[in-house]
Amino acid sequence: MKKFSILLAATALVSVMATAASAKTLVYCSEASPEGFDPGLYTGGQTFDAASRTVYSRLVEFKHGGTEIEPGLAESWTVSEDGKEYTFKLRKGVKFQTTDFFTPTRDLNADDVIFSFERQLKADNPWNKYVEGAAWEYAAGMGFPELIKSVEKVDDLTVKFVLNRPEAPFIANLGMDFASIMSKEYADKLAADGKMAQLNQMPLGTGPFTFVAYQPDAVIRYKAHPDYFGGKQKIDDLVFAITTDAAVRVQKLKAGECHVAPYPNAADVPDLKKDENLTVLEGPGLNVSYLAYNTTQAPFDKAEVRRALNQAVNKQAIVDAVFQGAGQVAKNPIPPTMWSYNDAVQDDTYDPEAAKKALEAAGVKDLKMKIWAMPVSRPYMLNARRAAELMQADLAKVGVTAEIVSYEWAEYLKLSKDKARDGAVILGWTGDNGDPDNFLDTLLGCDAVGGNNRAQWCNEEFNKLVKDAKVTSDQAERTKLYQEAQVIFKREAPWMTINHSVVSIPVSKKVTGFQNDPLGIHRFDGVDIAE
Amino acid sequence: MSTVTASPKKTGHPSALAEFWHYFSRNKGAVIGLAIFIVILVVAILAPLFAPHSPSEQNREALLLVPSWMEGGNSSYLLGTDAVGRDILSRLIYGARFSLFIGLVVVTLSVISGVLVGLVAGYFGGRTDIVIMRIMDIILAFPSLLLALVLVAVLGPGLLNAMIAISLVNQPHFVRLTRASVLAEREKEYVVASKVAGAGTMRIMFLTILPNCLGPLIVQATLAFSAAILDAAALGFLGMGAQPPTPEWGTMLAEAREFIQRAPWVVTFPGLAILITVLAINLMGDGLRDALDPKLKRS
Repeated sequence: MKKFSILLAATALVSVMATAASAKTLVYCSEASPEGFDPGLYTGGQTFDAASRTVYSRLVEFKHGGTEIEPGLAESWTVSEDGKEYTFKLRKGVKFQTTDFFTPTRDLNADDVIFSFERQLKADNPWNKYVEGAAWEYAAGMGFPELIKSVEKVDDLTVKFVLNRPEAPFIANLGMDFASIMSKEYADKLAADGKMAQLNQMPLGTGPFTFVAYQPDAVIRYKAHPDYFGGKQKIDDLVFAITTDAAVRVQKLKAGECHVAPYPNAADVPDLKKDENLTVLEGPGLNVSYLAYNTTQAPFDKAEVRRALNQAVNKQAIVDAVFQGAGQVAKNPIPPTMWSYNDAVQDDTYDPEAAKKALEAAGVKDLKMKIWAMPVSRPYMLNARRAAELMQADLAKVGVTAEIVSYEWAEYLKLSKDKARDGAVILGWTGDNGDPDNFLDTLLGCDAVGGNNRAQWCNEEFNKLVKDAKVTSDQAERTKLYQEAQVIFKREAPWMTINHSVVSIPVSKKVTGFQNDPLGIHRFDGVDIAE
Repeated sequence: MSTVTASPKKTGHPSALAEFWHYFSRNKGAVIGLAIFIVILVVAILAPLFAPHSPSEQNREALLLVPSWMEGGNSSYLLGTDAVGRDILSRLIYGARFSLFIGLVVVTLSVISGVLVGLVAGYFGGRTDIVIMRIMDIILAFPSLLLALVLVAVLGPGLLNAMIAISLVNQPHFVRLTRASVLAEREKEYVVASKVAGAGTMRIMFLTILPNCLGPLIVQATLAFSAAILDAAALGFLGMGAQPPTPEWGTMLAEAREFIQRAPWVVTFPGLAILITVLAINLMGDGLRDALDPKLKRS
C-alpha cells in the first residue's frame, strides 16, 4: 500500500510538472512509416528523418539548409599527405540519451565510432547479420567495404580511418545517414540480454531528440535530449504523425493538426501559398529525373539513336503537366545548384522533324520500345505514368511505338538493374552528400553497371574522368574533370535527362527555423514554435 | 393491354416476349435503366461519331481546362481536359466501350464456365458434386476484389488479365445458381419422361433441364455485368487493370485523384460515368427479376 501511494505521488508530481512547463510540441506529418530505426540498414528518406536526423548524430554534419560540411561529433580532423589516413578528434563529454529502456553510464568514445562502422563493414562482426537480410545497402553502394582498410582507436577520443585509396568525397560521405554513430554500450547490453533486434526498434544515440515511443503506421514520439552537445532544443516534444496520403497531409496542416507536412501534391501548392497561416518553403531540390536507355541493346546501343529519341520528346511539357511548372528541364545529370555544373552544355532541342530524320539516317524503322514507369511518387518524379504517357505521345509522332510497363516498387528497382532488361527506365536520384561524385560515378560509372547504372552504360573516357576526380583532392581540378565528363555524357546520351524539381514544403507560420534541406531530409534541430 | 397485341401464331396466349415486356414495363426504374443502357450502348458502338476528339490526343496548350460552362472553358472541350490535355468527354465515350466490353467478356466467360460446372455438379451429384462445390466454397471464401488482385498480380497487370481474374471470381455464383436449379428440376416429371423416352445424358442436361434454369441465371448475369464493370474500375484504379493510355474509367479516376481539390471535374466525370452505368444496369436487372421470376409474377 505504501509503495502504491509513493507511486501515486510520483505520477501526480510528474503531471504537475508537465503542465507547469507548458511543453512546446511540434507535430510533423511524415509521409511513411520508417522501415526501422537503424539508419545503416535502409535507404528510405522517411527512415532517415525518423531515426538518423533525430536520434543520432554523425562525425560530421551537413550545414542546416545546405550541403557544406561542418563538425559534428568530431571536433576536428586531419588528412595524411597521401590522402589515405583520416584522423578524427572527438568532442569531449558527449552524452548519450537516457531512456526508459537504457541508462548510459559513459560518454561517447572511440569504441562507439568503431562499432558503428565495423558492424556494416565486417561480415564476421556479430552485429553484421543481426536483422534478417541485413544488406547495409548504403555502405555497400558507397563502396565502403573495399574502401576502408581499418577503423582504429588511437586513444579514447581519437579515431583513425585507414583507406585503401584516396577518396575525395570521403568526409562528405561521413555526413550521410548510414554513418550515424550508435552506442556500443547499449549494443553490448542488448547482446548480453539476447535482444539484439531491439537496436532496430528502440534507438538510442547522441542526437537532438530522444526516442520515446513508436506505434507502427500511426505515430512516433520524441522528446528533447536535455544533454545534447549542441544545446537542448527549444521544442520539448516532437511528434511524427504518419500520414501517407498527400491530400490528407495538406488538410491536417490547414486544420492545424500538424505544423510541417512534406511532399504536397504539386496541384495543391498554389492554393497553399494563398493560405495566410502557412509559408511554403520552396527550394531547388538536389535531384534529377531521367529516362535511362538500355545501352547494351540494339538499337539503343547507338548514341545517335538515343540522341534522336531525346530530341523527339518535349520535356517542357512534362515539367508543365507533371510538376505543374515547378521544375526545370534538365540537360546535365547533376542539378544546377551543385558545384561543377557545366552550364555550357547544350541540351538536345525539341525537334520531332530532326529526330525523325536522324532515326531514318540511323536505319531505325518502326521502332517498338518499352517505357518503364515508376509506380510511386518521388520528389524528383511526381507521376511517372503521366510522364510516360507524354513521352509515348511524342514518340508516336516520330514513328516510335512505346508501351508503358510498371511493377511494384521494390520489384521495379530490382528488375530495372538487370543488364538484359527490355526497355528504358524512368527513375531519378536525390543527392546524398552534395558531391558530384554521388551522381556521376554512382549512377553512370562502370562499377555501377548492373546496379545503380540503369543505362548499363560503361564509357571508358567518361569513367576515367570520374575516377580521376574521385582521387583528386583539389576542388578546382575536380571541377574541370567533372565538367568534361558532362560534355561526354551529353554527346553519348545514355539518358534522356528530364527534370530538376523544385521541392516545396508547406510549414505553419508558427514554426521558425525550419529549413528546406536540398538533400531531401527533414531536420528539427534549431526549430522553434510559437505558442 | 399488351395481352391484346398477342402473337398471331399462338392465339389466346400472349407471346413470351410480350409477356416479358408486360411485367418488365411495370417497373418504371427498370425501363429507365434499360433506356440509359441502350443510350450508353449506342454511344459506345458509335464512339468515333460522338467523340469530338481522339481519346489519346494531347493538347499541351490546354492542360486541366475547366468544363465549357464554367468561366474560362472552351466549347470544343465540353467536359474540360485532364492533366495532359486530353478531352475528358471523348475519353469517357471511348471508355464506355471498354467498360461494356469488360462486362460482356466477363459475363460470357463466367456464365459459360459457371453453367457447365454447375450443370455437371447438379446433374451427376455424389462425389463430383462435393468436390466441385467445395472448390467453389473456397473461392467464395475470399473477398472477391482481393482474390482478383492476387490473380492479376500473378498474371501481370493488363486489361485481358483483369477480365480473366474477375471472371474467375464471379464464376462460383453461377455454379451455385445452376446447381440449385438443376437439383430442383432433375426430379421433375418432364425430365423423368424424357429419360424414359430414351434421351441421352447430354440431351437431358442441355436441352431438357438447362432452358428451365435460365431465368435466375439471366438476372444474375445482369448483376454480374455491373459488378464486373465496378471490379474492373477498381482494378484500374489500383493500377492493376487497363494500362495507359487506355481511357478506362477506373484508370482515369486513379490518374486524376491528386487533382481532387485543384480540378474536381477531372475526378467527377469518370466517377459519374461509372455510377450511372452501374445503376442503370442494376435497375434493369431488378426489372428482369420481376419479369422472369415465377414467384414474383402476378403478386
